[in-house]
Amino acid sequence: MFDNQPEHSIGGTGADRAALSAAGLHKAYGATVALEHADISLVAGKVHALLGENGAGKSTLVRILTGAVAPDAGGMMLNGKPYAPHSLLDARTRKVATAFQELSLIPNLSVAQNLLLPNLPRAFASMVSTRRTLEAGAEILARHGLDRIDPAAEVGRLALADRQRIEITRAIDNAGQVLILDEPTASLAETDWLFDQIRKATQRGVAVLYISHRLAEVREICTEATVLRNGTTIASVDLGDASDGDIFEMMVGRKFAHQRKPRVMRSASGEAARLAVMDLCGHDLQDMSFELRPGEILGVAALEGQGQQELFRMLVGIERPHSGRIEVDGAPVKFSGPRDALKIGSGIAYLPEERKTEGIFSGLSAATNVVLPVMGQAARGILISHGREISVAQAAADRVEMNPRYLSFPIGDLSGGNQQKALIARTLATGAQTLLLFDPSRGVDVGTKQSIYAAIRAFADDGGAVLFYSSELPEIVQLADRCLALYGGRITRRFKGAEITEQSLVAAMLGHVTPEITEGVLA
Amino acid sequence: MTATSKTAPPETGFTQNGDTRGSARVTRETVSTVSVAILCVMLLLSARLINPALGSWSQVETVLVLGFFLVVLSFGQGVVILTGGLDLSLPATITMGGILATSWVGAGNPGEWYLLPGVLVACGLVGLATSAGVIWLRVPPFIMSMAMSIIVASGLLGYTRGTPRGAAPDAAVVLMKSHVFGLPTPVVALVIFAIAGWLFQSRTVYGRYLYAVGTNVDAARNAGVPVTLIRILPYVISAVCAGFVGIALVGYSNGATLRMGDDYLLPSIAAVVIGGSSILGGRGTFLGTVGGALLLTILGTIISALGLEFGLRTIIEGSIILFALLVLREELFQKLRSFGR
Repeated sequence: MFDNQPEHSIGGTGADRAALSAAGLHKAYGATVALEHADISLVAGKVHALLGENGAGKSTLVRILTGAVAPDAGGMMLNGKPYAPHSLLDARTRKVATAFQELSLIPNLSVAQNLLLPNLPRAFASMVSTRRTLEAGAEILARHGLDRIDPAAEVGRLALADRQRIEITRAIDNAGQVLILDEPTASLAETDWLFDQIRKATQRGVAVLYISHRLAEVREICTEATVLRNGTTIASVDLGDASDGDIFEMMVGRKFAHQRKPRVMRSASGEAARLAVMDLCGHDLQDMSFELRPGEILGVAALEGQGQQELFRMLVGIERPHSGRIEVDGAPVKFSGPRDALKIGSGIAYLPEERKTEGIFSGLSAATNVVLPVMGQAARGILISHGREISVAQAAADRVEMNPRYLSFPIGDLSGGNQQKALIARTLATGAQTLLLFDPSRGVDVGTKQSIYAAIRAFADDGGAVLFYSSELPEIVQLADRCLALYGGRITRRFKGAEITEQSLVAAMLGHVTPEITEGVLA
Repeated sequence: MTATSKTAPPETGFTQNGDTRGSARVTRETVSTVSVAILCVMLLLSARLINPALGSWSQVETVLVLGFFLVVLSFGQGVVILTGGLDLSLPATITMGGILATSWVGAGNPGEWYLLPGVLVACGLVGLATSAGVIWLRVPPFIMSMAMSIIVASGLLGYTRGTPRGAAPDAAVVLMKSHVFGLPTPVVALVIFAIAGWLFQSRTVYGRYLYAVGTNVDAARNAGVPVTLIRILPYVISAVCAGFVGIALVGYSNGATLRMGDDYLLPSIAAVVIGGSSILGGRGTFLGTVGGALLLTILGTIISALGLEFGLRTIIEGSIILFALLVLREELFQKLRSFGR
């Protein structure tokens, strides 16, 4: 199960030769050691997965491989030659290209310009040729099956998923030797296009490093995997020989409880709905009606851009509906914003989609981040007491199993998983009885996911109501009591309890309204 | 070179790999506040070498009295900068406070107990207009406050027909010229103001919301922070502080001029930046700003004691802002943290 690469002979050829290998990589940022001792070896024509919890050092390893940062110790070899890139461009000239998780596109430039930079085609007097840039951009898009995207479109105006596709396309186009994909499916709802592109690249002999939290995906496309934990390579394994349990254990150092916990819904039809939505229209939404009862966890399943963002944003007053009614605890309401939503009735707390740009305050402590909506609770008189701030935050942090040690750290210094826990803790700390969670476990590791699920279940068991959207179907299957499938701004199907299976959800998300089809899939 | 993958042996593989990584706790705010304070003391002591009279207690008192103006101003400026704005209307609002105090209130006016607060309210309305332009009309802060500055200054020119008249209100004179506990009143006021301002900024709910809004407006809105209210107040606070300084300046020099605020714009920004705040908002402490304001005042006193040109003083202040912006970049703090390991 532990795959030690055979020593390769100098100048040797063949599939077993490591295209890119790194040994003993170490990197510290000040006193924070991000990477302790990492080894990895990529083989030409193969897809290699990099697995690890949030904060395991995956991102730092990627940054070293791409030349964005230099390691403090350790060395790398590319096709038998020493490899020490000093910048992203330097790595690219050695034909090592990366698609970053935090997209590296320039939003105010066109798709074509982004694809071709920094080498835009020249015309007269070495001025940039707009026409030839567009032609070359269109050609690259066509080669990667993205003809539907206009090469002249401004990148910032594209949907997030298309921006990610552009980021990936650019990396694949530049990757002659090694292609690094950091969470390439974070915003993609389906993987067919991506996997086609990866297979084309491996056929050319490109070595691919694939970083994802989604194990099912990893198993589909990758043949081997390296597991990082706490900045150290734990093992490199052949994925065919390792079970999910093995990998989970390597990632977190403990066994994984597989069972979906059956939940008895406390809710009864006699109780008024916490949140009732009637004929809501506006932006892309059409005639959306549903109810959310106390003690209920309601999932929203949808491909990207089917109106789920608008729905959540309308329910907290960031966007205004054109028509329709929203009722909280039986009374019609109009929100002027999330603050209003917190105060009306039993309260609605909102977890936004993008952790970094819409959620955290990086310079403030994790404790302040948690208690911010209810800052007054941390104050004695008019002054905030540090002790009380920590204790209020800790009460919420405990519910998501967040280590209280992190509360006094600036939240920007914490790993993505802990940041997400803090944000979930924030919604719990508000005391609101209804939570709107948009992708509550976005980009976090399996261990953190389980803590977040447990917190959501506990909240609902205590009579709270939860509406959540997830980009990951297993999450909806594990968590939701009921589920709405959205397609094109409409609810296409409603599911209950055991009806919620990945197959039936997929059919509904693709827009199949008739139940026969989903039952066909199930059978 | 054998650069193949070296994997840990299975028996020690994933059982004995505790998280040994940690993080040092040196914040840039602490570093800059302490270093600015040390710089102040060093400057005062070295000034003694130039001229023995410079480091004396009475000289320290003078510095603190003069520093009082800048500390109050840079509190307002600091609150605006904390939310990601910039207030360029300070000179005009200082002048407005001063001119209204002399010509509208004047010496020996029995109504000064309500007229002087009225002056502050008038200045606050100027700040409110700036806020409105920044928040609802979405004019960039430096343009909006600059425009307000020009409007107010021109209005004052018309109001006074070029020659401000009147003397300082009695309360302003008392504030600047009297003594409490054997110390000049402005020195005591400075200490109280510094402590109150620090508590306000770092320990009140409103202060905490200022940091949140300055760090990320969208995230603040999502978290349920009353963003609009938080963003309105800083310019009002800044304008009221400036108006108050205008009144105090009138009490100090017993008269107003149309250009009395001009020399305070650059120092008010410099004090905030030297004190370790981010010019982009979301970071900084008021104690650092107080240190920055005192440092600039000491420098000004030394420059004038040395008989240097006034122009030199602004050159030095400009250079200090640039220098502080260069030195206070994040890399320096990364280095300091690695020393602290």
